[in-house]
Amino acid sequence: MADNKKDFKMQELHTPSAFEGALWACIGIKGADTIFHSPPGCYINQHVNALVNDWTCELYTTNLSYANIMQGAEERMETTLEKIVAKKPGAIFIVTAPTVEVTRDDVEGVAKKVGFKDTVIIHPPIGGSLVDGKEKAFTSLLDLVDPTVKKVPKSVNIIGPTFSTFNWRADVHELTRMLAGIGVTVNCVYTAGATIEQIKNVAQAELNLCIYPYDSGIGVAKEMQKRFDIPYKADIIPIGFGNSAAWLESVAEFFKLDPKAYLKECMDNAFEFISSNMVFTVTFEMTAALSLENANTYAVGISEFLNKEAGVDIVMTALSNPDAAKRLEALCNDVLINATIEEKRDKFVETGPMVIYGNFYDKKVSMDEGFKNFIFSDIPTIGYLSSENCPFMGFMGAKYLIEGLVNEVYMGIFLETKGDMMGSISTGSVPWDIKAEQAMIKVGEMIPHFVRATALKKLHQEAEKIAQERGTNVTLAIFREVSDKFTPTKFKAKFSQVFEDDAAPAPAVEAEKDEEIPVSSLTFTLPWDDAAKGMLELVPSPFRQAAVSGTEDYAREHGRDDVIGATMEEFRKELGM
Amino acid sequence: MPLKHYEHCCSTIQALASLGKIEGVIPLLHGPQPCSYQNQVGSMSCRPANLVTAGTLVNKSDVIFGGEEGLKMQVRNLYNKYHPKVIVIINTCIPQLIGEDIEGVIMELKQEIPDLKVTTCVSGFNFPRSMPLGSDASWVAVLDAIETQEKVLGSIGIIGRTGQDAGNLASLEMYFKKAEIPYFVFPTAHIDSMSEIARAEKYYPIHITPWLTCKHLTEKFGGEVEFIEIPAGIQGTSNFLHAIADRQNSQKLHDLVEEEEKRITPELEKIRARFAKEKVRMLMVDGPANEVSVGKIFAEFGAEVFVIPSMKNKFYKQEKKLMQERYGVTFIEEDFDLLGDIIDEVKPTAVSVEFQAQPECVSRLVPTFINMLYLCEYGYDYAIDLGTNFFKNMHKPVYENWQGLMQKYGGKTNG
Repeated sequence: MADNKKDFKMQELHTPSAFEGALWACIGIKGADTIFHSPPGCYINQHVNALVNDWTCELYTTNLSYANIMQGAEERMETTLEKIVAKKPGAIFIVTAPTVEVTRDDVEGVAKKVGFKDTVIIHPPIGGSLVDGKEKAFTSLLDLVDPTVKKVPKSVNIIGPTFSTFNWRADVHELTRMLAGIGVTVNCVYTAGATIEQIKNVAQAELNLCIYPYDSGIGVAKEMQKRFDIPYKADIIPIGFGNSAAWLESVAEFFKLDPKAYLKECMDNAFEFISSNMVFTVTFEMTAALSLENANTYAVGISEFLNKEAGVDIVMTALSNPDAAKRLEALCNDVLINATIEEKRDKFVETGPMVIYGNFYDKKVSMDEGFKNFIFSDIPTIGYLSSENCPFMGFMGAKYLIEGLVNEVYMGIFLETKGDMMGSISTGSVPWDIKAEQAMIKVGEMIPHFVRATALKKLHQEAEKIAQERGTNVTLAIFREVSDKFTPTKFKAKFSQVFEDDAAPAPAVEAEKDEEIPVSSLTFTLPWDDAAKGMLELVPSPFRQAAVSGTEDYAREHGRDDVIGATMEEFRKELGM
Repeated sequence: MPLKHYEHCCSTIQALASLGKIEGVIPLLHGPQPCSYQNQVGSMSCRPANLVTAGTLVNKSDVIFGGEEGLKMQVRNLYNKYHPKVIVIINTCIPQLIGEDIEGVIMELKQEIPDLKVTTCVSGFNFPRSMPLGSDASWVAVLDAIETQEKVLGSIGIIGRTGQDAGNLASLEMYFKKAEIPYFVFPTAHIDSMSEIARAEKYYPIHITPWLTCKHLTEKFGGEVEFIEIPAGIQGTSNFLHAIADRQNSQKLHDLVEEEEKRITPELEKIRARFAKEKVRMLMVDGPANEVSVGKIFAEFGAEVFVIPSMKNKFYKQEKKLMQERYGVTFIEEDFDLLGDIIDEVKPTAVSVEFQAQPECVSRLVPTFINMLYLCEYGYDYAIDLGTNFFKNMHKPVYENWQGLMQKYGGKTNG
């Protein structure tokens, strides 16, 4: 029993289900209305959670009560459907909720009775995955397609984007731009952002391009090949300069077009970009973790791009597709499949990446652990505004990925390693223990060269400040404390190798443990209110003076000239305490 | 006459950044606005913390009528606001050109504010070809503000290069501490501890830059200067420490060096084996003088090293001779138009250059290191870390990948 309890882990679920998949595939289609045949609670959640990632959608509900479900909800469905039909939509999509799937309402019967021609009903499988839901919806929507339409020469469909697919809008925009560059038009984006007319005419295209081969779209592409004789491509992920060029070249080859001039222009520009000062200088010493369970294609494409074309060391990836995971094993030692948030958190701490790509939960747990550099790249986001501007795919996407990484991490680390603009540079002559000096040399070797010298200076300065406050030499324990607190991003795991032989537990602090240091005897350089001073009582005695310094530094950094209870609370949260 | 200049920055930045790393010292940049702006922004990345970069913002009427009054006013302002122990006036090109009487200003200010110490150093076109000498000049100005003190018997003074060395010399200091040799370090991060250098009996520069500093030390405080060699790399560090052990008659220091060599040798051998296998040609282009010191480390590993030096002072000449004799390092001292010309000639495996040369090198698909990021290169562990991670940090596969991509799609590289 005790063991079971120990093994039990509370975790928040970060992977959506087939119901989200089906809804997201439908609600992005313009000119069609979607009905979620569901209780109001399910509906509200789905609607709100869809709108935190996308612009707008038409989603309706049958507002089912307990009684409706128990006694059959066909009447509610019929009433709702009639109201929607009165709006004269281009099509109606009905997605059934889990409760309806349990009682097996006769939705098809109701739809037949109402008699609206372009009605598509989707029953997402209970227990199915996001991909299952999307593929089910994608395939169901094919019922609307006119198979007799004439082919439009040199046209493609982009298969896979749905609402709540991270950054789909920008990726589609960029890939469409690139295709236009070689004379290929996009017939339909299947499905996000497409009009209902484009969906109905999807069979006009000569080629289907699955842009998320490790997530969804291949199922429906195969089905379209069968029904409409449209071949598909899903072998190259258009992420990174090389793969974007290869992807476009492959499309050009299909249409017997010559892409050379366009590709040369794009690659010359890419080469000029990567030759600039701020690219390899930073990326060559960068480590990254990608936690993208709902964006496996991104996980593969971004990892391979950053590693092969920018020299970034990928220290960890977390995803949900085993094939994608297998592919990534070639460049990453730690590939997690369907990991819990706690497992991911532990791995973040163990591998200590300089930047993390992930979702909201990854952001939260990494912040709690002291990681500061984060790039949103997956759902859930809780709230994320995106547009056509910042793609991850294509040539512009490759540039944006580097740009985002360098600007986030370089500036983040740079500012972290700087002292206060108005603080003192040195506290004077403070002696160092030899072990602390040796530790500083070793810690220095673990810091990227582009900030090493300044970062070490800050550690040096902070260690001396604490030693002076405590009236001691700079001991190994003090240096460890400083290294944990003031480091460029989070290097705890790496630094621990330096300290594990000698410094754990910190000897100087241990020695001081028994000595009670009253709050009244502490040195304050800013005015503290009673609430803040009261909170100092909760800090173990040996750490109180350091807590005073740290909090005052924090207050100054945040433009305050005093310390109040709220300041201390914010600082405590930022430290993850 | 060269077409470009490949140093990191103006010597004024170096003076500003070095002085700005010393608590108790405030540098006052006496020059026009573009000079202040460029030098402040340019030194931003290497400043550890607070740096009051006050300037006099010399304008046209100052040039015509003299900027001394404005300078005096700014010194007063700084003193009243910050009460620094020392203000160093960095005298830039324009005031030098119009012949401003900085010494006269300092004398007047001394009478007006007896507590205040003001000194000056010249930068800008006074050191047109050697950015790191901005540090040397600024250290001389700091020494001008230090009082003579009683010498400590048997003590040594370790003279570093730039402000970056302040607080970053543990890799050498710990041996003197263990060997119980009294020592003082210059620079340090605080003017008080830095002033202690006057107590050393003998001075040992650890880099080629502080020639003026050492000269000034002996002239002002007495004591002998000996440039042994830069304590960079395994042999360089051992030779330096053994030499001091000999002078100080310290068997303990000799023993420590031998212990360290035993610890380090297996790693060094691994690094040498890798360099022997992969044949490296390193082109070290003028940086903060580490083109010499880091070049020496690479040469010790077995790389063929080519150095374009940033300075040619007395210490450089000594180190150059040593590197030529010990490792066969090639020094390129003649002017050249473009770095690309040298790259074409030397055909290096990798180059170490300053930021502004990076686009020129990467566009030739030559693995590039930024030499300003490889500082505090003293002692054993630095060398081992550099050698162990060199091939990984070079990222050759990334360059090869790009070479393939450009051959296939683009073709416009400079390589």
